[in-house]
Amino acid sequence: MSTTADESQDVGAAGVRELHLNIPLTEADIRQLRIGDVVYLSGPIFTARDGVYGYMLGQGHEPPIDIRNECNVTIQSAPAGVEVRPGEFEVASLQATAGFRYGQWMEPLCSRYGIRAVIGKGGMSEDVYRDVFKKYGVVCLSTMGYGLGAIYGRAVKRVRAVYWKEQLGISEALWVLEVERLGPLMVEGDADGNSFFSAHAHEVDEPLMAAYEGLPAPLLSRLGEVRDPTKELI
Amino acid sequence: MAVTIAQLEVVAFEVNRRAAIAVPIDAEQAFRRAADRETNPLAKYVLDAIVENAELAVLDQRPMCGDTGLPRYYVKAGNDVHLEGGFAALERALRAAVARATQEVKLRSNRVHPITRRNPGNNVGVFAPSIDYRFEPEGDWIEITAVHKGGLFGSDYRMLFPGDGTDGIKRFVVDTIASFHRRGLACPPAIVGVGIGGTKDQCFTLSKEAACLRLVGDRHPDPVVAQLEEEIYDLCTKTNMGVMGLKSDTPVADVHCEIAYAHTGGTPVAVSELCTAVRRSTARLYNDGRVEFREDPRWFSPYMRREGIDLTSAEAGAAAWAPAAMPEEATVN
Repeated sequence: MSTTADESQDVGAAGVRELHLNIPLTEADIRQLRIGDVVYLSGPIFTARDGVYGYMLGQGHEPPIDIRNECNVTIQSAPAGVEVRPGEFEVASLQATAGFRYGQWMEPLCSRYGIRAVIGKGGMSEDVYRDVFKKYGVVCLSTMGYGLGAIYGRAVKRVRAVYWKEQLGISEALWVLEVERLGPLMVEGDADGNSFFSAHAHEVDEPLMAAYEGLPAPLLSRLGEVRDPTKELI
Repeated sequence: MAVTIAQLEVVAFEVNRRAAIAVPIDAEQAFRRAADRETNPLAKYVLDAIVENAELAVLDQRPMCGDTGLPRYYVKAGNDVHLEGGFAALERALRAAVARATQEVKLRSNRVHPITRRNPGNNVGVFAPSIDYRFEPEGDWIEITAVHKGGLFGSDYRMLFPGDGTDGIKRFVVDTIASFHRRGLACPPAIVGVGIGGTKDQCFTLSKEAACLRLVGDRHPDPVVAQLEEEIYDLCTKTNMGVMGLKSDTPVADVHCEIAYAHTGGTPVAVSELCTAVRRSTARLYNDGRVEFREDPRWFSPYMRREGIDLTSAEAGAAAWAPAAMPEEATVN
């Protein structure tokens, strides 16, 4: 299937560059993406969070789908959806969960299965982008606003299958969803290892630090603020 | 006359359905205002999408967020209410309604065993849904509020001391924002609830209720608390850490503080943030069969906050706990 034929790009509201891509994504598709771009995706995606990562990558169960050639986009999520009749599933709403906690799984996921895009919430650490995503040609897309479940849910046209439901439960299972114009998704980590959030940290930190002005440190510290557990907290 | 179980089952399902789908008007208007006044183009792009999402959820009658949170209830009983089957039957109906809503509204089955991670698939389990109760000295009704709240980010607790002062409370709120608005983990612009005083668990409970059960724009009746709400709101606004953690003019939709009398040596403080997926719906059921749905939970009552009670007088203070006017037959079976 050709992905480049249907590609288009617009400059949407607020001067944000919007791109429309078809899945499976090619390397060229993702190499053109820059941090801060907004992407809409069409095609099959699969869900993965703690359950799937542990079962597939930790315990080594082979996925029942052809990720590399057919379905090379994953969303760190399980949808708000139910089994309406035995074996038949419907999705109402969709949103990704915070992806930072899955960094350890990105190396095996990308090296073994040819993933091109990971959709999460808020991105992952720059280390993951630099050490894994840059090496294998992968981008990190972030859902936007984080409460756009109805918008993303609308883009789900069909649930193709739900795998490993018995082993992992319905909200950790591997869902294969056929999506049409799933977006807006922001390019958080590009294939060169850049992070949108890291690049904009300075403009966020400045007013934050100004808000702290004149506010004294608390009388009693906590472990975490003092990282050495043998240190006094008073 | 009594509130029937059949009626409770229908109404409990309905408040779950409404909560999951429709952003309450006060919150939706707050997000619209935030989008209108936003000066960062990317933040405005996202805030506009949040407003659009709220519209589409209602249009399609689908849950507003893919994480449909942990369904829970806040129940307030008027002292004169009569429940068919009593409170045990009420709880059974409330649990059944969550299971039914999970299937029919297509909520995500979020509730799992915390160690085995087994998922029963209906959001019902041990202490799930959680149900909190309050009472009113008068009233031939029972009110049921369903709240679906995400549960991973945006809350924290800290023991402060009188020496930390109100500046210490403010700093702790800013710390919480710095922790959870970074990259937008708590899904701001949030409604911030701050529980101040009481016991540790009380202040956390109050912070959650302050975030989830008061309308945007509402101020505490105690002027000292109301002033602190304004000051913390201004401070939160000053952080500019808003939607998706972007620099934004509206990091929080509002700040609600609740107080409880504390140990003389301490000031326990908790912060709970309610995300842009504001999910709450209330219904009142009367003994005579009437049902009223509304968006304002009206959870914190003068009775609950001991308004107008002279707390320095032992007699008057005690009177608030056992009102002389309360008729004896008003006790609930």
